[in-house]
Amino acid sequence: MTFLKKLLEFSGVHPERLRTRWVSSAEAVEFVHEVSEFVENIKKLGPNPLKVKAKEAA
Amino acid sequence: MSQKIKEHVQKLLIEGKIKGFLGLREENGNVMPHLFCDAKELDALSSGDWKKAGDTRYPLNQLMIRLAMAYPEESFAVLVRGCDERGLRELFKWKQLNEEKILPVGIGCPDELARACECEKPFPDSLIDGPKGEKADSQKVARVEAMDLDARLQYWKAEFDRCIKCFGCRNVCPMCFCNECSLEEDQLVGTGEIPPVNPTFHLARAIHMVGRCIDCGLCEEACPADIPLRTLYKKVAEIISKEFGYKTGFSADEKSPFNIIEVK
Amino acid sequence: MEFKTVLTFCPYCGCGCGLLLEVLDGKIVGTLPSKTSPVNRGRLCVKGWTVHEFVTSPNRLTKPMVRKGDALQESSWDEALNLTAARLKEIKEKYGPDSIGVLTSAKCTNEENYLLQKFARAAIGTNNVDHCARL
Repeated sequence: MTFLKKLLEFSGVHPERLRTRWVSSAEAVEFVHEVSEFVENIKKLGPNPLKVKAKEAA
Repeated sequence: MSQKIKEHVQKLLIEGKIKGFLGLREENGNVMPHLFCDAKELDALSSGDWKKAGDTRYPLNQLMIRLAMAYPEESFAVLVRGCDERGLRELFKWKQLNEEKILPVGIGCPDELARACECEKPFPDSLIDGPKGEKADSQKVARVEAMDLDARLQYWKAEFDRCIKCFGCRNVCPMCFCNECSLEEDQLVGTGEIPPVNPTFHLARAIHMVGRCIDCGLCEEACPADIPLRTLYKKVAEIISKEFGYKTGFSADEKSPFNIIEVK
Repeated sequence: MEFKTVLTFCPYCGCGCGLLLEVLDGKIVGTLPSKTSPVNRGRLCVKGWTVHEFVTSPNRLTKPMVRKGDALQESSWDEALNLTAARLKEIKEKYGPDSIGVLTSAKCTNEENYLLQKFARAAIGTNNVDHCARL
């Protein structure tokens, strides 16, 4: 993960766009929390620049 | 071509220590890989310095794998620069070549080449001739790191957009020996698209270079679109070195952090 | 045991990239770009890189074949050429010379290409002649 984040950062993609967490299927509350927090984070970072460029190119 | 190397190889052949020497041959102004099985052929030996230092290097390790698979019982010698020797160490660990059957014949790289390659160590330990050059300063990675995140994305997008998916980078790589290549997997990199999905193709290759890339630069030389592949793979090596303390090709025993499968 | 690389040129487009065929014991086993060729200077496109694959491909035609019924069957050069000439004549008479088109190839010599366009224009009587590089 460390490796991937650093590689993405070098390539111009914010490392916080990638996240891994181990969550058991019995940990429903934790899962919801993780996903909601991640979504909030991503909203702050803005739309994925790779997708934006692809749309502009199209 | 170095007289020392010629004499060294001549001796190996005459004494019957090797079946052949995998090196480079110059003929009619062209330089190409060749297996020298007879000492009489050695007048045509080339070091791979045609018009400039190291401008006619080829992936000899890759050809060696092919030879070794066809003739596993035979011993061969092979021309190696600093990078090639790093490659051999990894290929031995990955069981692609048998250490006992390969005799490296080392040639050191001159300063101008070491600097152009920004080489970590421009000479092999099994050095027969050539200088023991200094480690060269790296600037390629630093130049990209000096850009902010958005500028970096623009930069890489522009570079990767020129890719024509010739697979030259992979085909010429002396360390790429996988029978099934992820880059040909339709689910990862859709077939029939030029340029290939940006940046997936190149980042996927970069990830696969962990513990494999010996920084020989043949990929960048083979790219018809002049994509700065070495800069990307050098960054990969830097991350692995900083985070895992692993430098590809420097240890005869230590395995790459991404190679956890025991090969028997 | 013999392993060598042989300098030759890509048979596909008109660029003429220099490449090295890897030959192990008389068999072509791989392709490398030639670093000393001024045209490509050590680079190849995907077609050039895979040149060695078609040489030993099991799909390669090694004998003239003629369709009899539904299936292609091995035949002789005489039979194949006679059939082709007869059918082209028939088609020309029935549908006119412009119903026939001729495609030449970058793999042909200039002389062969000249003959093909002469065949199209003089023998068949059509201007429908083009070249694979335009496809």
